[in-house]
Amino acid sequence: MDKRRKFFVQTIFLFVIIFLIIILLNNLIINISRTGLGFNFNWLSKPASFSIAEHSLPYNPSNSYSWALFIGWLNSLKVIFFSLILSSLLGTILAFARASNNLLIRIISSGYITVIRQTPLLLQLMFWYFIGFLGLKDNTKFAVYDFFNMSNQGIKFYSFEISSEFAALLFGLSVFSSAFIAEVIRGGIFSVPNGQWEAFRSLGISEKKGLLSIIIPQALPAIIPGLTSQYLNLAKNSTLAIAVGYSDIYAINDTIINQTGRAIECFLILLISFFFLNMLITNIMEIINSLVMNFKK
Amino acid sequence: MKNTKFISHLNILEKIKKILFNNLFNSLLSLLLILSLGSIITFTIKWIIFDSSWKVITSNLPLFAFGSFPKSERWRPAIWMISLLTLCVLTLFGPKYMWLRKNIIIGWILTLPLGFYLLYGGAGLPHVMSRNWGGLTLTIFLTIGSSFFSLPLGILLALSRKSSLPIIKKFSAIYIDSMRSIPLIAVLFFGQLLIPLFLPFGLEIDRVWRAILAYTLFLSAYIAEDIRGGLQAIPKTQIESANSLGLNKYQINKFILIPQSLIIALPALTNQSIGLFQNTSLMAILGLLELIGVGRSVLANPEFIGQYIEVYIWLATVYWLFCTIIAIIGRHLEQTMIKTKSNFF
Repeated sequence: MDKRRKFFVQTIFLFVIIFLIIILLNNLIINISRTGLGFNFNWLSKPASFSIAEHSLPYNPSNSYSWALFIGWLNSLKVIFFSLILSSLLGTILAFARASNNLLIRIISSGYITVIRQTPLLLQLMFWYFIGFLGLKDNTKFAVYDFFNMSNQGIKFYSFEISSEFAALLFGLSVFSSAFIAEVIRGGIFSVPNGQWEAFRSLGISEKKGLLSIIIPQALPAIIPGLTSQYLNLAKNSTLAIAVGYSDIYAINDTIINQTGRAIECFLILLISFFFLNMLITNIMEIINSLVMNFKK
Repeated sequence: MKNTKFISHLNILEKIKKILFNNLFNSLLSLLLILSLGSIITFTIKWIIFDSSWKVITSNLPLFAFGSFPKSERWRPAIWMISLLTLCVLTLFGPKYMWLRKNIIIGWILTLPLGFYLLYGGAGLPHVMSRNWGGLTLTIFLTIGSSFFSLPLGILLALSRKSSLPIIKKFSAIYIDSMRSIPLIAVLFFGQLLIPLFLPFGLEIDRVWRAILAYTLFLSAYIAEDIRGGLQAIPKTQIESANSLGLNKYQINKFILIPQSLIIALPALTNQSIGLFQNTSLMAILGLLELIGVGRSVLANPEFIGQYIEVYIWLATVYWLFCTIIAIIGRHLEQTMIKTKSNFF
């Protein structure tokens, strides 16, 4: 294509896109003015007047909507952070279980992965919540003196308590993500050439030490990008919290929309909140990546 | 004869010993696993036979299959699903006639219009509104509708992302990256609550179609990335030889790039469709009565209250079964394509 035609095609494309956006925005303005709500963010400073069961910072219903949204964002961050750690642990164990020389362990772990990957996350979350926690009718069944208790109120660990909603979401997300993380880790370890294994074995280095100091450092550069995208998926999947009644950022937005009817504004807020969550995860993973790369040098 | 049997028997024992009990640690581990697995299995079997009551499933089977589709019209979704099943069987085990293999893609393309006609009615059939669609029928309809539209859109986005026109390239890159950074439920929420706000007064899109639109917007970004991966894996010599044969850009895309990238991306695309089938469950949160939505409404029925385990096990089995079918079809397509080097067109 010559330069003039390229320019022509792109101008038309741009024109069509702008035209479409103008039509849609025009419709939006007309529809919003018909509802009489208008488009503004003044309501953010008004009292939220709904309670949030779970909050990491002080919150009561007389606090503003913006504070409620921030609490929801923190709740999202909390569940994502702990699921990240738990799913990475589970995923690592699973990856090694799949490569185990014990046939039974291999069968169990691949069975686990198929069941987890072939059923919807939503169903798994509901399973954890309604059967795993709310299904516990006898509240003293798992009690170990005062030290540990698991009941339909959640999990109590010494003086540290977590709600059943949080625990169900944490376990559901972690178990689901671990199946995907295991594959990433397995792929990374397989990407290390076989010669490396043979080399450290022939040097008389023990399996454990060879794996930790020779194989894993070489596998990490291949693992980390895959891990980052799985962590981003985990963050996105955490929005299913609404199915188990955990007040994450999406659930809070949903409540506010039901209360105020401000769908557009809340949707924008949701997008921005997710932008920050994604940025946080990507940046932290990039720091880890550069650390690994420096370590390798 | 007896002797050889005895030897093979011994071999199996030896094999088991080698696999499970080759050292002390493995022996203990295997023993522990066998014991715990055994107790779990006996407990499950005991529970299935004695403690569970499957009436909640058996008496609601039509609900799980068709939702609240009118009783007299249930043959319509049934016919649609049977035709789908036939297509699956034909794709997997069909005779190797060239015309059949070439035209089976047309059958798959026709499933969506056929499904819409049978579900919605018109032209001789009474109309059934989409609020009466539900259960497995709706889950499958959402899956097929969304993949029908998102595959072409994904291919288009992938090609534009590799285009030589900077504005188009930038636009598709922005679209793909921003779509991939938002959670699906937000997109579905956009589809259900916000799309009506962007339409002129009086124009309405049905909820099911709005859901399909939202899934398409979301999924096409992911499909585009998979296909881009396929495009990047095609060796440069392919394009160079096509150029030297005098093919134009359109022909290169149609005959060289798209077919090959689709074959390379096929495993990823299979995973996307499995994910899509599972993710249709999210519409339960936004008020459509697909499989999980039906499950929830059954559990809200006072007669079956608290029978979570039966309903969830049933739903998990159904999802697992269909996802496995999709995976098998995907693997089969992959193998036949590698074998015959044929393509979609």
